[in-house]
Amino acid sequence: MFTLIKREIQDHIVYFIGAAVFSGIFIGISISLIYDYPMRIDMAVARVGLGTAAATIVIFGFFAMGATQMYTDRIRRISAFVSTLSVSKSRILLARIITGILVIVTLLVPLVVAAVILLRLFTPPIPMYSEMVLEVFTGTFLMAFACYCIGLQYGWTSSKITHTLGWIGLTCILTSLILIKGFGLHTVVILALFIVVSLIRTWQTFKSTSL
Amino acid sequence: MNDSVIKVENLVKYFDGRCVLDGINLNVPRGCIYGLLGRNGSGKTTTVRILLGLESPTRGQTFILDAESTNLPAKVHGRIGYAAEGHNLIQNYKVSRLIKLCKDLSPQWNDEFFNHLIETFRLPADRRVRQLSIGMRAQLNLSLAMAIDPELLILDDPTLGLDTVARRQFLELAIDLIQQQGRTILFCSHILSDVERIADRIGILAAGKLVVDCPLEELKKRVKKLRVIFPESAPANLYLTEIINQQIQGREMVITVANWNQQKQTVLETFKPASCTEIPMSLEDIFIECTKPNPKSIES
Repeated sequence: MFTLIKREIQDHIVYFIGAAVFSGIFIGISISLIYDYPMRIDMAVARVGLGTAAATIVIFGFFAMGATQMYTDRIRRISAFVSTLSVSKSRILLARIITGILVIVTLLVPLVVAAVILLRLFTPPIPMYSEMVLEVFTGTFLMAFACYCIGLQYGWTSSKITHTLGWIGLTCILTSLILIKGFGLHTVVILALFIVVSLIRTWQTFKSTSL
Repeated sequence: MNDSVIKVENLVKYFDGRCVLDGINLNVPRGCIYGLLGRNGSGKTTTVRILLGLESPTRGQTFILDAESTNLPAKVHGRIGYAAEGHNLIQNYKVSRLIKLCKDLSPQWNDEFFNHLIETFRLPADRRVRQLSIGMRAQLNLSLAMAIDPELLILDDPTLGLDTVARRQFLELAIDLIQQQGRTILFCSHILSDVERIADRIGILAAGKLVVDCPLEELKKRVKKLRVIFPESAPANLYLTEIINQQIQGREMVITVANWNQQKQTVLETFKPASCTEIPMSLEDIFIECTKPNPKSIES
């Protein structure tokens, strides 16, 4: 399993670098905003703008990653070759999903650490803030993972423009879910259910398709 | 313990409504070198892919090393060496990286044997797979398939793209492997001289059916091509069954008959031919006769 994960990481190293760079940039911007514009209304506006841009990049970035992983596999017939070795199809897919999760973690963990430190430094010690951080990052993680799952489905099953638009539409619906309902238990449950269904569907299609 | 390494039961496969395999039944015993022959599009590669679980059958069941192909465990895969037609290696990988991947994923990797193969074929480890010539890719694929010390080796047109020297090297390696007890090889090829050299059992696929499935020597004995000269014009019908091919020119008739036996010999003699001579047939001649439309079945 470790070999398969290593192979996936090496093949998609650009996403790990992208996630680390993006995380660094986001932390940098957050710190500069706090120091340059303390306690001003335009800081809140800047935060919203920054948050929206970040969410868009995260959502479409992970959608693209899932799609790329599956598409390159299909085109280069990687699974067709690897599955003739001592490896099952389920393990190939599991290694791929674990790699996707690792990229999300690479992006989010530094952000969580930075957010916790910044909150400790610049806000009073109210427990609500740590709960809020947990909620926001759980929601973001599930959101990113859900988009990644859509990407996996899209990359393996289709390359038609109508399907592409359909999958992008679904990604937008998921995004608007957070905008409408915000982060919280409802969102977590909906996203978790969506992820489970999406993974089962991906596994079924991957297992049944000729390699 | 079942002694068939490969077992195919009533295998049917349709592609877009077109029947490619029509009720194939096949058994490959342990230690056998089975040459699976057929024209382009006859279903050889499809059969191999179904056996390996890369393709699902429309109907029927296939078993390989006592495991069902549709659900082959990773451990069973590790006992099978496979060199695919067209050499489906990961094209954008460097040779060294591909070797490392295969080595890490193969529990029975034989480093010494693999290095010997790499030296024999002089494969460059620092080049990407797509930069290799077709022949080099074939050599790499064969080396990877053989390095796992396979119990069953499936070779789908393995010598395609190899020059004469490399082909000879490969056949010698295959013979080396065969000499190790209990090894089984399923060998699909268009180069019939190669198959004739190493195979001890032959299967011929034609029109979606397995029309021949018997040992090579028996096949040569059972398919007869005869030049029969009659005192007057040749009869239009000899009332013989299983005639594969028949050509009449005046007094002369050339017939190819499957499953030749004493009974057929007696029927032919009732026509009182002036002479009857056997035309020697190579595997290629038999193959051409058997793959003509409406082939007759030859099974042991």
